[in-house]
Amino acid sequence: MSLDFGVQRHHCSIKKKSNRIFSAIPYSFLIFIFFVALWPCSFRLFNFEIDFLSRAYATEIPPLKGYINDYANMIPPTIRTKLTNELREFERTDSTQIVILTIPSLEGLTIEDYSIKVAEAWKIGKKGRDNGIILIIANQERKIRIEVGRGLEGKLTDLMAGRIIDLVVKPRFKRGDFSGGLVAGIAALIDATKGEFKTDDDRPSRTIESFSPFFTILLFGAVGLLILGNISPVLGGVAGAIGLPVTAYFVLEPSVFTLILLCILGLIMGIFLPFLFSGAGQGRGGMFFPRGGSFGSRGRGNDDFDSRGGFGGGGDFGGGGASGDW
Amino acid sequence: MKRFLVYALGIFVIMSLSGCGYNTMQINEEAVKAAWGDVEATYQRRNDLIPNLVEVVKSYAKHEKETLQAVTEARGKVGSIQAGADIVNDPKAFSQFQEAQASIGNALSRLLVVVEQYPDLKANQNFRDLQVQLEGTENRINVARTRYNKAVQEFNTSIRIFPNSVTNSILLHLKPKEAFKAEAGAEKAPKVKF
Repeated sequence: MSLDFGVQRHHCSIKKKSNRIFSAIPYSFLIFIFFVALWPCSFRLFNFEIDFLSRAYATEIPPLKGYINDYANMIPPTIRTKLTNELREFERTDSTQIVILTIPSLEGLTIEDYSIKVAEAWKIGKKGRDNGIILIIANQERKIRIEVGRGLEGKLTDLMAGRIIDLVVKPRFKRGDFSGGLVAGIAALIDATKGEFKTDDDRPSRTIESFSPFFTILLFGAVGLLILGNISPVLGGVAGAIGLPVTAYFVLEPSVFTLILLCILGLIMGIFLPFLFSGAGQGRGGMFFPRGGSFGSRGRGNDDFDSRGGFGGGGDFGGGGASGDW
Repeated sequence: MKRFLVYALGIFVIMSLSGCGYNTMQINEEAVKAAWGDVEATYQRRNDLIPNLVEVVKSYAKHEKETLQAVTEARGKVGSIQAGADIVNDPKAFSQFQEAQASIGNALSRLLVVVEQYPDLKANQNFRDLQVQLEGTENRINVARTRYNKAVQEFNTSIRIFPNSVTNSILLHLKPKEAFKAEAGAEKAPKVKF
């Protein structure tokens, strides 16, 4: 009912509008800029609280630099390169991420508390697979811990992790042979988790991950189109024809054919959306904001890593693993 | 121009208020349920380890019947409490659950103190493996509880803050959920030393 009314009203006012098109262009530009500025703002507003909390939570956690995070200066450069290559190769074949962290001191925390904080801050492992391992060494307290991601708990059980510490790493550390202990320990971790995941089945989890932000952007885009299309159908059509494929290009990585299709779809949407909504225009509300989104953790500069799925992509840890000392 | 302003204002209000909080509260409640599932699973994991542990200790430390019995009894008590997702809404059942788990923890730590007197047992590979597993499990319990408490805090906040509280009282009628409280001494995880 209200729809018919809207179309009629639109037709009535269309003459007046066409006279106004030219004078409306500067305004429309202003509004366009306003929305372009506001889009990221809404994400930021929403993520602000979460970011703030997690940052406050992780104040003492050093930043993730690469496979080897040697904050206690225990690893000589040659070993460092060797281990980095080994771990990169392992991630390339198996997608499992193993990271080493050495710290000078725990500063009063237990190694278990410290290591779960690191795991929560770094999110080693792929999202949905949770295939990350962190080997943490606290120099001053002489503590070792292997923190195991949820997806690897079946293969690298607490028992297995405990044995790797006790039988492989600890004896070498006791002799002061840190490099030997790390090389042997990493080799044991790789042996224990080999074959649990394969890089090939990476695809499905990625598309699911990138879907939800796309729809959010689409929703805001539709609102933007509505406004522009209300000003003039031409403006709305052009904005839709450009905006939709561009958005899709950045988020979904589609083929050229899909882009052209989206371009046409955007054009149609830009022209007809305002007609659909011009009647119901003001009574709308109840838009929803999906939580989180994967924006925060993306695009960190870890050039050290095998870049396929992004590093620290959201692997979950549940406190699995084992600790020891030397 | 007036019309643009109205639109802009409307969008701004929607963006900054992010609705009436209906979805947020639902999401948070599901998060609490999921976190509770983890808590239960980790406690269950500990329960499953206990018979093996008792069995190994029994064969070496024949004189520690009382301590062993205390562990078995505490474990049996937990089994009689019906733990389910509903427990998080019921303060009484929740504190019962927490107490029962705490008494297992206490019994276990006593057992591990007693074990110190038996060097043969401590050298037994089977026992050492169980110790590692128990240690890992206690750590998981810790992590699961912390995360559960965080989820509960977020949920309880989300049903109390302003626009949500109205939505909740009209539509959802969600009650605040119970969180784990740190009890003096009793809630400390037993220290497992090698």
